Amino acid sequence: MGLKMQKIKKIAPIIISLIIALVLPIFVKNNYYVTLLDQALVNIIAVIGLNFITGLTGQVNLGMAGIFAAGSYTSALLTTKLGVNCWLGLIASIIVGIIIGYVLGYPSLRIKGIYLTLTTIGFGEIMRLLLTNMVNITGGTQGVLGIPSLSLFGFELNTPRRMYFFLVAVVCLMAWIAIRIVKGRWGREFKAVLNDDTALASVGIDISKVKLNSFILCSVFTCVAGSFYAHLMGYIDPSDYTFDMSTRFLMMLMLGGIGSVPGSIIGGSIITILPEILRFLKEYYWLVFSVIILIIILVLPYGLVSIKDLPFVRKLFGLNKNSLGESNE
Amino acid sequence: MLEVKNINVFYDQVQAIHDVSFEVKSDEIVSVIGTNGAGKSTLMQTIVSLVETKSGSIIFNGEDITNLPSHDIVKRGIIYVPEGRRIFYDLTVAENLEMGAYALKTDKKRLREDLEMVHEMFPQLNDRMKQLGGTLSGGEQQMLAIARGLMGHPKLLMLDEPSLGLAPVIVEEVFDIILKIKKETNTPIVLVEQNANMAMAISDNTYVLEVGYVSFSGKSSELMYNPEVKEAYLGS
Amino acid sequence: MESFLQLLVSGIAFGCIYTLVAIEYSVIYQASGLVNFSHGQWITLGGFVFGGTMIRQFNMHYIPAMLLSLVVMGIFGALVAKGIFNPLRHLPNNLFVVLGTVMLGKIIIELCRIIWGASAFRIEGFLSDTVKIGGIVFPEVYIWIVIISVIFLVVQAILFQKTKLGKAMRCVASDQKAAALMGINVNRNIIITVAYSAIICAIIGILVAPIFNVDINMANSISLKGFAAGVVGGFGTIGGSIVGGLVIGIIENMYLMIGPAIYKDVVAFVALIIFLLMKPTGLLGKNQQKRS
Repeated sequence: MGLKMQKIKKIAPIIISLIIALVLPIFVKNNYYVTLLDQALVNIIAVIGLNFITGLTGQVNLGMAGIFAAGSYTSALLTTKLGVNCWLGLIASIIVGIIIGYVLGYPSLRIKGIYLTLTTIGFGEIMRLLLTNMVNITGGTQGVLGIPSLSLFGFELNTPRRMYFFLVAVVCLMAWIAIRIVKGRWGREFKAVLNDDTALASVGIDISKVKLNSFILCSVFTCVAGSFYAHLMGYIDPSDYTFDMSTRFLMMLMLGGIGSVPGSIIGGSIITILPEILRFLKEYYWLVFSVIILIIILVLPYGLVSIKDLPFVRKLFGLNKNSLGESNE
Repeated sequence: MLEVKNINVFYDQVQAIHDVSFEVKSDEIVSVIGTNGAGKSTLMQTIVSLVETKSGSIIFNGEDITNLPSHDIVKRGIIYVPEGRRIFYDLTVAENLEMGAYALKTDKKRLREDLEMVHEMFPQLNDRMKQLGGTLSGGEQQMLAIARGLMGHPKLLMLDEPSLGLAPVIVEEVFDIILKIKKETNTPIVLVEQNANMAMAISDNTYVLEVGYVSFSGKSSELMYNPEVKEAYLGS
Repeated sequence: MESFLQLLVSGIAFGCIYTLVAIEYSVIYQASGLVNFSHGQWITLGGFVFGGTMIRQFNMHYIPAMLLSLVVMGIFGALVAKGIFNPLRHLPNNLFVVLGTVMLGKIIIELCRIIWGASAFRIEGFLSDTVKIGGIVFPEVYIWIVIISVIFLVVQAILFQKTKLGKAMRCVASDQKAAALMGINVNRNIIITVAYSAIICAIIGILVAPIFNVDINMANSISLKGFAAGVVGGFGTIGGSIVGGLVIGIIENMYLMIGPAIYKDVVAFVALIIFLLMKPTGLLGKNQQKRS
């Protein structure tokens, strides 16, 4: 009996959020807002990726914009300039993601902490500057126009609404994969890197491989997100892929809760959608938004998923430490 | 002059000091001995408030100084020469000494006199004054650390493992210096040591610390012959 | 030859700016272990306080306007240190520091936008002349950048070497616990150091205003290149900041003799990555022992 209850308690939030996700478009009439929801889903994919490096192994990656851009431009350029099929473009993006994972992961074997963060910043800036200036290939500041929308078995995902349902499915799949990884052996190894490098080496785990894996996972997820972003928007230019974008992904990760896949989903949604909700504040809306986030970091450093651990929240809901876990009998 | 009453100290959840009391009277040397991890350094750090006191009180010259900010405790005259010396590597020897007098509102003349005093007591530092602290040998660093402490005109001097990691000859030198300080300045001294033999030989009273508890205390000259203390800390 | 000298001139001027940027975040890093990712926005704020308020609004003369801007920024720095850096310093992971300071930067920019408006402006007549000597053009602003930087370095050397406050700042940078045992109030010392950093940011903001105009994005590029300068010279050290700043400034300009101008901005970041991979301790690198 107890086991069943536990299972229900575990699955219930997933089912509820899925239902919300599926009925949401019914209430959102304006296509602009549906596009915003699409963007939130794309961002969630990237944040789930960032979670592998920054959330689990604790290495701060501020080059996300560069990785995301690589995914976008690979798909965009292959489909528009060479007329490659969208899905082949996606596969190419994934391959690019793997390569970038190696390229960025390699330095992490030698350097850590702030130095690694600076490396990723350097990578992001180099990517942005190259995209802006290699006009012949990337179109420079003009960007890439007319990126075709995805089509699934002949069904064109050419409206934000169609794309939405597709992306919900993709996010579910990616989140499922991510949770499997986080809960599995790799996830434990990632967390061990966060806690202590040396202890890990002494139990015979190859740290370099663990670190490389985390970078590759991050960069593949991010490139996939970048690719979908290009197909969703139909137009990309380098001004999107700035240091600002990198910090926004970090915001999403930390607002939701570092290390947690549901946290990434919550953070990705809120950071994408909240600014729109705050728009009524006119010119103050970015300010209010930034202040809210800063306060949350200072008060709730482990993000919104840790809200249930706050003493007063526990009291409010009459939770005690074990009520969600083992004590159900 | 210093009274520590029933203090308890925790690191996170782990209790490091259990209900420890001890006392230093003016013009005496008190040694605190015990094995590695017995809580000797923690006790010292608690007195200067580098570590928080959970309960109990620390009274210095009649004033309750429990959990005052460290820099305020230093200003009241308790000078702690920490374990591992903690020389400022990036400052010259002269600057290190000068910083020892930071808490005092001394003028240039007084500072120069104090430096003279240090030169006399620590001749080995004399031709090192312009060198960076980080370039000194271990023994020299220890001398500098003690000298830096003296520059602050301590009302109570606490030395944490001054002999740690030093060659036996240098250890002798360090203990000579401690006796000399006592003789010339009449400053009460708390001496934390693993080298129990030497510490007890030069101190008036001794406290033995075991995993955060005081297990023995009393006059050094008597404790020295206590069979249990002898067995555990003084070798044969 | 002429073009070489011309490029050297701008290389040295920009090198001085990168040096100041590297020093400005290094002093905070040394004192508190925090890397301030909002430093670019502090520079921007300095530019706005000077150009937007002191000059445009109050019509002040340049010199008092500058001095007053430095004072305002110093106070700003002290408040930020107390209200934001202090709590951040006690969080367990440097992740929080990164995001916390990034958010602070965003807040500063939004405040700038609200207070001074979104459009860029130039300060008319401020350091806008040029001097020509033997075929080489010396923009007035470059000359002042070099002069002010040299004066600054001398003043800073006096501060750190000769004054009690400066020595105490060095003690806190070297070993916080030992500093406390000398009777130094470490928290107050960190607040002063952050205020000092904010003052340097104001100096930079004022000096680059004639080059980039006063604009919310005016410091984006120099703040990131300042990180590159620090890494190339030796991260977090004053000597490293000077060497790294000049090296980055000069090589990115010298690059123009061999490659297309559009990739000039990439040079600093390529140097950053090469150094991080080959010699992370930088040109003046020594293995720093830092104790908490």
